[in-house]
Amino acid sequence: MNTWKGTRKSLTIFLFLFPTMLGILVFNVYPIVLNTYISFTNRNKFRPKPDCEVFLTGLLDPLCWPQFRENAQGGLGSPYRLAEPLFANYQTLLGKLFSAEALLALGKILLAFVPLIGAVYVNRRLDRQIDRPISGGMVWLIAILLVIGLGFVLSIRTAFDQLMNTGPFIVVVLRTILFVAIRVPLTFVFGLALALILNDTRLKGKTFFRVALFVPWGASSVAILMALVWQFFFRQQGTINQLLAQLGVEGPIWLQNPVSAFGVVVLADLWFSYPFFMVAILGALQSIPVELYEAAEVDGANWWVQLQRITLPLIRPAVLPATVLTSITAFQMFGTAYAITAGGPLAGADTPGATEFVMVYAYRQIYQLQNYGRATAFAVLIFIMLFLATLYSLRITRITKGAYES
Amino acid sequence: MIRKTPLGVRILQYTFLVIAVIFALYPVWFAILASGRSGGRLYTLSLPGMFFPVEWSFDNFRFMLFERPYLTWLTNSFKVASITTIASLVICTSAAFALSRFRFKGREFFLIFLLAISTFPGILSLVAIAQVLTAIGLFGKHLGLILAFTSATLVFCTWNLKGYFDTIPIDLEEAAQIDGTTPVQAFFLIALPLARPALAVTAILAFMTGWGDFIFSSVLVPAPDSVKLAVPALYSLANSVSVPWGQFAAGAVIVVIPTVLVYLALNRYFEAGLTVGGVKG
Repeated sequence: MNTWKGTRKSLTIFLFLFPTMLGILVFNVYPIVLNTYISFTNRNKFRPKPDCEVFLTGLLDPLCWPQFRENAQGGLGSPYRLAEPLFANYQTLLGKLFSAEALLALGKILLAFVPLIGAVYVNRRLDRQIDRPISGGMVWLIAILLVIGLGFVLSIRTAFDQLMNTGPFIVVVLRTILFVAIRVPLTFVFGLALALILNDTRLKGKTFFRVALFVPWGASSVAILMALVWQFFFRQQGTINQLLAQLGVEGPIWLQNPVSAFGVVVLADLWFSYPFFMVAILGALQSIPVELYEAAEVDGANWWVQLQRITLPLIRPAVLPATVLTSITAFQMFGTAYAITAGGPLAGADTPGATEFVMVYAYRQIYQLQNYGRATAFAVLIFIMLFLATLYSLRITRITKGAYES
Repeated sequence: MIRKTPLGVRILQYTFLVIAVIFALYPVWFAILASGRSGGRLYTLSLPGMFFPVEWSFDNFRFMLFERPYLTWLTNSFKVASITTIASLVICTSAAFALSRFRFKGREFFLIFLLAISTFPGILSLVAIAQVLTAIGLFGKHLGLILAFTSATLVFCTWNLKGYFDTIPIDLEEAAQIDGTTPVQAFFLIALPLARPALAVTAILAFMTGWGDFIFSSVLVPAPDSVKLAVPALYSLANSVSVPWGQFAAGAVIVVIPTVLVYLALNRYFEAGLTVGGVKG
C-alpha cells in the first residue's frame, strides 16, 4: 500500500481525479440536469429560445449566463416556458397508461409471464436434488405451454392492443425489448456454435477462420457505413433480390414490410455483434480443463450431455456479464436501424415506425421534429430504466466474480 | 484422450464455418467490389460480378481523393480522433491511477457513479452539450468536438485502465518506494510500462470513438465542407439526391479497411482485454 497519508494523499488523489471529474460534470452531469429541466418545459420547434427571466431557465441554460449571452443565436421563435400541467410531456408519452383499463391490461400481460419465473424457480429447486424427476427442458416446455394457455384465457391480444394505444413510450420500449430478446439469444447461439467448433485443437485452418470471423468487429466501429451496405443488399433492386431473380423468383420489397424490415435490422446487427460473443466464449472455453470431458467420456456421456452439464455451466461466469452488457448496448442500438430503415416503415404521422427503437425515436424527435420537451422526457424515462439495468448488471458481475474466486 | 471427431461431423462443421465466413466477409467484399466498378454503379447484373472483380478501375478512388474534399475529411477525422485519444489516455490514466493505487472514502461510490452516469443516452445529452459549446463559442469547431469525444470516452477508459492496473501487483512499486521514489514516480516508472496491452486497447477504443462516430460529429460540426469529418460526410454523400455509389463505396473502403486491419492486428489484445476490464462490445 502507498505510504502517503493525510493531506498529501488527499491532495494527490484530488489532483489526479480532477480532470475526469471536470469532464464528467460539464459533459455528463450537467446535460442530465438540463435535460431533466427541459423535460418539464414546452420547448419545441416554435419555442427554441430560453426566457432568461424565469429563475431556473436563467440558472440552467448556458445561453443565459451573462458572459456567454452574446453567443446566443438570434432568429425567430418565442421563448419556452414551464409546461402546463408540469408533467405534460410525460403525459403525451405515457398517455393513458395510468387509466384503470391500461393498468389492468398491463397486469394481465405480466400475469401471463408468471409461469416463466416459476420455471426458473422450479429448476433451481430441482437442481439441488441428486435425481431430477423431469429435465430442465421439460420444465421450460410446460411453462411456455402455460404461458400460451394463460394468454388465451386472459385474452392477451386485446390487452396488448390496449397497451399499445397508451402512447409512443410503451410502443417504442416494447419493440426495443422485442429486438433485444431476439437479437441477443441469436447472437449468443451463433457465437457459441462458432466458438465450440473453433475450440477444437485438431481443426485445420483454425487461425484463418478466427481472423475472418473477427472482421465484423473491426467494421462495427464504423457501423453507420457498413449498415448502409446492408441496406444495399435488401433494397428493391438490391443484391438479395438480384440473386432471387437469377433463380426466377421475384423478391419482396424487404424494407417496406414491417416484419421483414425488422428481420433485416436484426440480421445486420447480428453481423456486427456476434464476434464479441465468439471471442468471449472462446476465451471461457479454453479455461475448461480437458480432464472433465475425458471423465464424462468414460462415464458414457454423449456430446449433448457434455454441453449441458460441463460446458454451459462452466462458461456461465464469464458469459453472463457479457450477455447483460450486450443486452444493454443492444437496447441503445442506433446506427444499424437508422442507416437501414431510419425507423420505418412508418404507419402514420405520429405513430412510431416498425423499427423505430429507443434511440432512433429519440434522435428523430430531437433532430428531425425538434420536439425537445417530449424527447427529453423520453430520455429521463429511458435513463431510469437503463440505470436500474446497469445496477443489476453490476450485481451479476459481482456474483459471478465471487464464483471465480471461491 | 478424447475420441476423434467423425468425418460426417467434421464436414458439417466446415460447412457451417464456410457459410459463417461468407456471412462475415461478404459485406466488406461487396464494398470493395463496388468501389472498383466504373460508372458509379452500386450493383452489377452479372452473377460472377457479384462475387469476383470482373472489372476493375481506380477511377472512383482517384475521384474521391483528388476531386472531392475527401482527403481533408480524412485528415480532419484523423486529427480529431488522435487528439481525443491522447487527451483521454492522459486523463484516464491519471484517474485510474488514483482509483487503483489509493484507498479513500468515496472511491467505490465514484466508480459506480461513473457507470450510472454513462447510461444516460448520449444522443440526448448532445442537446445540452451543443448548447454549452455554443455558449463558449466552440460550436462547429474541432476543439469543441474533441472535448465532447474525450468526455464521452472517460467512463469506459477509466474503468478499463483501472481494471488492468488492479491486476498488476503493487509489490514492485513498494520496492521502488523503499528505494526512495514517491508513489507517483513508482507507478509511472514501473506499473505503466507493464500496462501496455491495456493502454493499446483503450487507445484503439478511444480512437474509434472519434473515427467511427456519426451523431456527435454530424450535430456538433454540421458545416462547412472544410471542417467535416469523413464518416458523416460520407453518410450525407450517400443520402444526397444523385448518389455516385461507386465513389461512396471507394470512400467507405478507404475508411473501413484500415480500421479492420488495426482490429485484426490487435486481435490478441482484445481477447486478453475481455477477461480483465470488460471491453465494451
